Amino acid sequence: MSHEPDSWEDYEVDNTARNISNLNINAQAFVPNAFAAPFVPRFASNPAPTPPQTNGHILQPRLVENPSSDSNKISDPVESKIIKLEEPVKMEDPVPEPKEEPKEEVMEVEEPAPEVKAPEPVVEPTPAPVKKEPPPNKVRKENVNIVFIGHVDAGKSTIGGHLLYLTGQVDKRTLEKFEREAKEMNRESWYLSWALDTNDEERDKGKTVEVGRGFFETDKKRFTLLDAPGHRCFVSNMIGGAAQADVGILVISARKGEFETGFDRGGQTREHALLAKTAGVKHLIVLINKMDDPSVEWDKERYDDICSRLMPFLKQSGFKTNDINFMPASGLTGANLKEPLDSEVCPWFKGPPFLTYLDELPSFKDKTTGKPFRMSIVEKYKDMGTMVMGKVISGECHKNQSLTIMPNKTVVQISEILIDDMDSDIAESGDNVKLKLRNIEEEDISPGFVLCSTNSQCKIADRFLAKIQLVELRNIIAPGFNCIMHIHSSVTEVSFEELVGLMDKKTGKKMVDKSGKAVKPRCAKEREVVFAKLQLASPICIESFDQFPQLGRFTLRDEGKTIAVGVVLKTSNQLASQMTN
Amino acid sequence: MSSDDSTDRNVEIWKIKKLIKSLEAARGNGTSMISLIIPPKDQIARVSKLLAEEYGTAANIKSRVNRLSVLGAITSVQHRIKLYNRVPPKGLVVYCGTIITDEGKEKKVNIDFEPFKPINTSLYLCDNKFHTEALDALLADDNRFGFIVMDGNGCLFGTLCGNTRNVLQKFTVDLPKKHGRGGQSALRFARLRMEKRHNYVRKVAETAVSLFISNDKPNVTGLILAGSADFKSELSGSDMFDPRLQTKVLKLVDVSYGGENGFNQAIELSQECLANVKFIQEKKLIGKYFDEISQDTGKYCFGVEDTMKALDMGAVETLVVWENLDVMRITLKNHQTEEERVIHIRPDDEQDKTLFMDGGVELEVLEKMALIEWFANNYKTFGATLEIITDKSQEGSQFCKGFGGVGGILRYKVDFQSFEVFDHHYEKDDLDDFDF
Repeated sequence: MSHEPDSWEDYEVDNTARNISNLNINAQAFVPNAFAAPFVPRFASNPAPTPPQTNGHILQPRLVENPSSDSNKISDPVESKIIKLEEPVKMEDPVPEPKEEPKEEVMEVEEPAPEVKAPEPVVEPTPAPVKKEPPPNKVRKENVNIVFIGHVDAGKSTIGGHLLYLTGQVDKRTLEKFEREAKEMNRESWYLSWALDTNDEERDKGKTVEVGRGFFETDKKRFTLLDAPGHRCFVSNMIGGAAQADVGILVISARKGEFETGFDRGGQTREHALLAKTAGVKHLIVLINKMDDPSVEWDKERYDDICSRLMPFLKQSGFKTNDINFMPASGLTGANLKEPLDSEVCPWFKGPPFLTYLDELPSFKDKTTGKPFRMSIVEKYKDMGTMVMGKVISGECHKNQSLTIMPNKTVVQISEILIDDMDSDIAESGDNVKLKLRNIEEEDISPGFVLCSTNSQCKIADRFLAKIQLVELRNIIAPGFNCIMHIHSSVTEVSFEELVGLMDKKTGKKMVDKSGKAVKPRCAKEREVVFAKLQLASPICIESFDQFPQLGRFTLRDEGKTIAVGVVLKTSNQLASQMTN
Repeated sequence: MSSDDSTDRNVEIWKIKKLIKSLEAARGNGTSMISLIIPPKDQIARVSKLLAEEYGTAANIKSRVNRLSVLGAITSVQHRIKLYNRVPPKGLVVYCGTIITDEGKEKKVNIDFEPFKPINTSLYLCDNKFHTEALDALLADDNRFGFIVMDGNGCLFGTLCGNTRNVLQKFTVDLPKKHGRGGQSALRFARLRMEKRHNYVRKVAETAVSLFISNDKPNVTGLILAGSADFKSELSGSDMFDPRLQTKVLKLVDVSYGGENGFNQAIELSQECLANVKFIQEKKLIGKYFDEISQDTGKYCFGVEDTMKALDMGAVETLVVWENLDVMRITLKNHQTEEERVIHIRPDDEQDKTLFMDGGVELEVLEKMALIEWFANNYKTFGATLEIITDKSQEGSQFCKGFGGVGGILRYKVDFQSFEVFDHHYEKDDLDDFDF
């Protein structure tokens, strides 16, 4: 059915005519293709797109016919597209694409050739149009961000890779390739983690450095999988990942000796759990990994021992008992990930397997509507335009909406929304998105900037009052102390300006002297809770905790250790107030 | 007692520093300020001869005022030198001249001292200011350590020398991160990434050469490479990194952040390589002080009043003072009762007249000097050792800001009843009116 021309340039000449006459027939042949099935209903529900519409030339006049659809709700995908087509940047209409065969798509790029059209096929390689976002009138699955945390070599990436394989996001062939390559390096057991560890140096050493990402879907939910590095040196990267997550998966190695080193002072298990809690993780699943190891062999005693040792600590970190769930698993064999455990192997565990459990978790969505849009930028890069990545903290945004980037106060437009690498018209709170922005250069953005709705901008401050719980100190903290602060996705140096109060641990209130004035401590020690004024080197986006919890909680680190966690009570912008004076 | 020597030496250094500061600020009439430095093993007779010749030359100066003051200065130098029958083993430094004080009065200055370590400069200069460059070189520790702190966001070049920590240069880079699956472009992304990283390493290597190599020689005694991830090892192993610097690399340390914080951590982690550097000793000292506080041993004191009390009790083992402590020690005398009193105030309190009154009687100021100077002169009588510290290190900055810059580690536990409140003069602050 395909008549591949020798040269596409020659082909282009009679292309249009052929398109109109032949297209429909070709399209029919492709409907049963791999992932296309969910899109069939779209034809049925939409009378509007008749086959010839695929062609850009014909599409144009239709625009003029349809101006009345302006007022229509966005329920009909095609019409919503048309509304947008009123603007000069029109050609990225994704609706007709599912119907045409991939080859046609390539042609279309050359054919109408408007500037914005060209980028799309590059951003999304050929399979993309097949997995298009379901139409908005279909019920959206809730997006849940999960992050894998735990001590180095606990098996976070391996489990992550295995999940991607089990949910069909990584096909067997790729995995076979990884296995072969890993075998060549004598690192056979690492192959599963290669689905997430994409950098060479990560594969060489078998250690995740930067947060890896993947997506998968279950029956009820969509998941964004974040694979945090476990190594002590990369905790700062891990915090960036945890800040985006709703559910934390604490991976523990059950192998003899490994659990102990990970859990002892200096191991990352404790630190990660605490960081995850402060970063805003609401639910924790403790996955006891490597149960298949010869030193464990699905031993119930070992499992119970680990659980009982972890539990008090997790409670101390602030997780509630019903927010924690334990389950055994094996990342390498995949046991208890998707399928329930074989009762011969492990007769004592009766709970649902990991994926099922995830699927049945209650919703984490922020129920309060009407909050202004906020998104903290985690990463940015250039890909035929400026792309930013991050999690929508509150509110929602849609394509072509104008937003403001803080703290530069640049007004930008969204020209594209990608959720799990699929095109979308709208992003809601909780979604992990990539946005393509117009009107700003990639160089002008840094991680830690916040994208907010233009009419309600987020606060910028260089000083703030905070309540700080000191976790682990070398000796004491006094004014003049400098350390690193992680707040949402920004990392900045901060110094203590003044300690203004001390919290009485018994009453939970600030301590006062006889005259009723707050006690101003000269220094603070481990495990104390203090109120302090902090000074930043330069203004950043901060909100007080009661308004935007995600933008108001922070972690203080120094010398590779987490020394304190806290929340922002009040912000002040000295620079700005100086300027206005 | 080598440790005693070293603390004495530190006080010595501090005194010279102070001297240099005052000398630098002094300005005189015409070219009548004489700076004379005699290196060890020189002969006094030779210098006397030189001065006699200079005296003859100066007699020809036309301007009367200038001639007289130069001749006067040379005469005083000659007199000073007569006090020595031989050059002291570490050389001799003489400054003489007439300076003009703040009030516009003339004041004759005659200073001669033996430096605390051999000075290898021969200098005779008549100028309108004192020349202290040679002394500066004396203070500079010869061990200068270079630091390269490199991480994925940027690179910082710094040096550590004596008790100063300098940032020479820093720049940021924007390295592409991994973006999950890049689809078709994954390979292209990976390639771009490698290229950018390679360029970054090259840039760092080149900057290192321009900063740490002068006159074709490394200008640092040692180099410490710090960084998160692999950059530091990549740099040290790379052939772009100058071999002359490569031989100077003392240590590779893992730090979790770049920038200033990474620099601090790198210093902390390379302590054993830099054990002799003053900066590290200072950190350790204040660290010990903070340990006493965190363990609640009671063997510490802070604030001027408590410290003075502790000194009087003879409890202070180590007296820690910030070098720029601005507290003044003023001795007051009441004429009517013949009673003498000592107060310690900050310069901005000096305007407060009530401090100088006692029941309607104005008190006479007998003596006024910086508290730190008083400490430097008298610490031995209290059986304490004096440590003069800077606020350059993390601990130092906390000590100065949080504890007022003066404190001590005690020999035994002392219970201080009065808790002196240091009122920081903060302006009205919009963070204050918050009921937390």
